Amino acid sequence: MSVLAVVPLLLALQAHSPVPAASPAPIPAHPDQLRFAPIEFTPPRAADYRVALPNGLVVFVAEDRSLPLVNLTLLSRAGSYLEPAGKEGLAALTGSLMRRGGTRSLSADELDEKLDYLAAQVSTAIGPSSATASLNCLADNFDEALAVFVEILKSPRFQQDRLDLAREQELQELARRNDDSEDIEGREWDLLLEGPDHFTNRFVTAASLRAITRQDLLDFHRRSFHPAHMVVAVTGAFERAAVLKKLQAALAGWPGPAPQVPAVPAELGRSAAPGLYRVQKDVNQGRVSIGLPAVRRDHPDVYALEVMNEILGGSGFTSRITRRVRSDEGLAYSAGSRLSFGTWWPGSFRAAFQSKSQSVAWATQIVLEEIARIRESPVSAEELDTIKRSLVETFPSSFASPAQSMGIFAADEYTRRDPAWWRTYRERIQAVTAADVQRVARQHLDPRQLRILVVGAQAEIAQGDPGHPVRLESLAPGGRVEDLPLRDPLTMQPLAQP
Amino acid sequence: MKNATARRLLCALLALAPAARAAQKPRLEVQELELANGMRFLLLERHDAPSVAAGWVAHVGSANERPGITGLSHFFEHMMFKGSHVIGTRDIAADLALIEEQERLREQMRAEEALMRARLRRGELDDLQRPESWSERYRELARQFQALVERQRATIIKDQIDQIYTANGGEALNAFTTEDLTAYFVRLPKNRLELWAWMESDRLLNPVFREFYSERDVVFEERRLRTESTPLGRYDEAFAATFWEAHPYKWPVVGWASDIPAYTKAQADDYFRTYYAPNNLTGVLAGDFDAAAVRPLLERYFGRLPRGPQPPEVVTLEPRQLGEKRYRAEAETPPTVRAWWKAVPFVHRDRAAFTVLAGLLSGRTGRLYKGLVLERQLVNDADADVDLRKYAGIFSVELQVKDGQDPAAAEQALGEEVARLQAQPVPARELQKVKNQAKANAYRRLASPFFVMIQLLEYDGLGDWRFLDSYAEEVDAVTAEDVQRLAREYLTRENSTVGVFLRKAAAPGGGEQ
Repeated sequence: MSVLAVVPLLLALQAHSPVPAASPAPIPAHPDQLRFAPIEFTPPRAADYRVALPNGLVVFVAEDRSLPLVNLTLLSRAGSYLEPAGKEGLAALTGSLMRRGGTRSLSADELDEKLDYLAAQVSTAIGPSSATASLNCLADNFDEALAVFVEILKSPRFQQDRLDLAREQELQELARRNDDSEDIEGREWDLLLEGPDHFTNRFVTAASLRAITRQDLLDFHRRSFHPAHMVVAVTGAFERAAVLKKLQAALAGWPGPAPQVPAVPAELGRSAAPGLYRVQKDVNQGRVSIGLPAVRRDHPDVYALEVMNEILGGSGFTSRITRRVRSDEGLAYSAGSRLSFGTWWPGSFRAAFQSKSQSVAWATQIVLEEIARIRESPVSAEELDTIKRSLVETFPSSFASPAQSMGIFAADEYTRRDPAWWRTYRERIQAVTAADVQRVARQHLDPRQLRILVVGAQAEIAQGDPGHPVRLESLAPGGRVEDLPLRDPLTMQPLAQP
Repeated sequence: MKNATARRLLCALLALAPAARAAQKPRLEVQELELANGMRFLLLERHDAPSVAAGWVAHVGSANERPGITGLSHFFEHMMFKGSHVIGTRDIAADLALIEEQERLREQMRAEEALMRARLRRGELDDLQRPESWSERYRELARQFQALVERQRATIIKDQIDQIYTANGGEALNAFTTEDLTAYFVRLPKNRLELWAWMESDRLLNPVFREFYSERDVVFEERRLRTESTPLGRYDEAFAATFWEAHPYKWPVVGWASDIPAYTKAQADDYFRTYYAPNNLTGVLAGDFDAAAVRPLLERYFGRLPRGPQPPEVVTLEPRQLGEKRYRAEAETPPTVRAWWKAVPFVHRDRAAFTVLAGLLSGRTGRLYKGLVLERQLVNDADADVDLRKYAGIFSVELQVKDGQDPAAAEQALGEEVARLQAQPVPARELQKVKNQAKANAYRRLASPFFVMIQLLEYDGLGDWRFLDSYAEEVDAVTAEDVQRLAREYLTRENSTVGVFLRKAAAPGGGEQ
């Protein structure tokens, strides 16, 4: 019926197509001639939404009646850095089995049925440096869904048969570790940059999975979720006061005292020496990563570093690496760079692309040239202006919805970010000069410190492109070249090299 | 707006919902308008944040191609980012002259390529992509061509579309191509709506397909990235080609490896004239704008595009499948059973019932997980999905078989679940669970204006944007009898294509050489 009704409407609009009273402004010859009314935007302030409940729980709460939904996310102080040696995988398994293994009053089947019937989405996870849980449901069902959600957090059952199943599923996932060259690249890159002794590189193995018992899950859960260590973000169609009351009641009477939580490690492990690292994988496109460890987000250079990376490779087609490797030479679909500022431990700079075997060396050379160029000469005024305008104009997008804003505030509270960060961000970006960009490039992108990782068909990669003769080995920082073995996916021990 | 009639009709659209349902869920207030040249627009005001998600969809995709130019729709999507007579160049006359000169060289190169293909057929060459295969003359022509490319760099302003949007706070500038549609989009600060209208109408009015041949190489790298270097990419392609018999859904959206290096600029020009006239396009805006105020802007900018002839329709119908088809391969993958059945087009009246059918089988309380993972313990994961395209659809099931279990046993168990759906109507509570989820998801999918814009582009491209709004309502009307009827009519053995993927044994020595 509605489809039929549309037809006369369209005809009517055409027939009555109104001629604007005033003659329209002419279309300018170039978009540079367009003028735009300014937009005033002040980011919301965390303090306006923050409530500390008597049991220590911090809540960021905002009403949002645009849809009849409630969205709640929760962070609790924990992480896989707390896993005992020999039980790698315990954190992830505890997180996923809280949701999948039943609760004190509900078997696993009953829990799944209940949440699915309520159409409530609940997830739980324990990552490297935080435990998280989330609930999304219709506002009408919030009370019932919240009760189940809190029972999952408070008293998960960890049903033995679901633990056995999850372990078997995970073992099959481990077996896939060498299937995709992208997975191999990601894993070896983390090892090179963060070091084999960093906790994020303690690998789950078949043996460590088999060593995990139900009691281990119960213990790890107990130390990972406690209201005294929780931060909650909640938005949706509710009354602010009412939802706070509900949260306070639901999270009262927690079993056990607040656990002592050691700090997240603040340093990297022993990074690999600068050099070229190669892994053999029989695919027709090589995957290349080039980079080095960077800084934590509280480093004073982060603003200039962000601008520098956007110009070098972080802003898609507007950046230098993409332009040369992709647009000029057609050597890759995806080529660029990423600079992550670590929250707890130092982040990294990583330029990456994927190219057919024969052009791997040539494209690597281009990326190295661009890294050298941004150190040797100042960026143009136009490049600098484009990136600064972009970072300033896109700033409001971080706060596009109450759910996004509350999520940011909760994460900031959890990671103890300086509250001045968002207030001053735009002026700090505006203050970056071309000299700053060059200085931080020189200071933080030392070519002698680069690690280059190449995963692919090494014999063909070594042959290179006859039209652009450059040997990959000749690009090795410090002349160091090392062939890394693939690892047995279940033990992570090196496999014999073919 | 002066015209009261038009305004009233716009308001009438918002109130079209049947009264009983309207109480449940308010109508999505999408306003629809059509310019004199046939270009349609869907407008949704959302004032949560000071930005606008803006896009447009061309009603063309790989289904509109033919053998020899497979993937051209997707390649063309890339070419639309190369600029216009104004954007992307310092000197349009010099630029166009160089492009013409390049094309003359390319004609000679194409003659050489035809000779090389003849040598390939005789078995004298094995891979046209390798420079080692190229004739001396071809290499010489390629060198001359490269010299012209380098000369053109003096007149080109590289990737200027991206630069202008970036400097103006544009985010997520991108595009995608499917079998049925090609969509282009960006998110901008709300004061930049006129910039969007300028940029998009400009590249539709006077596009210039510069850097054509290096972009072919980029697309080939995209094919290597997504298809050729992934564990299952080439197998997925082969499986789909087995499934479809006549329909152009047979070939991959990215195109066959042989076709990508053979595209010509003349083909792209022709393609643009055929499919990118305004009467084959729909624009979508979602975000912080005033729909009444934006209408003159859209008319001024997009109204200047000349209406074109109606593009040719895809007339090929997939014939009724007569017998089961099977595909078996060894790959770097856990053992997997994949079953596909021919389903219905997106606008078909049974579309919601297919969604319900997939919902009943999927998830941890779905029949496949409960029956095959938890009870029989044959598989580690199980999922069902429905992919309803513009002209035909796919109902699919994927089972990740446990190591040590027989894939044939998993397939047998799947057959028994299907037989149960055919024999007995679904219990009321189980059906209600799926409907409850549809209702909640109908709201969840509206949470972000950007995502709403993407969904409107997709659904309009498939033939009915109103599915974004009517989804939960349509699902609510599905009965247990509908589900049983679909299972009996579509989930039959002769309508199926079954793939069995086994893990390829590691090479001796444990390496992957």
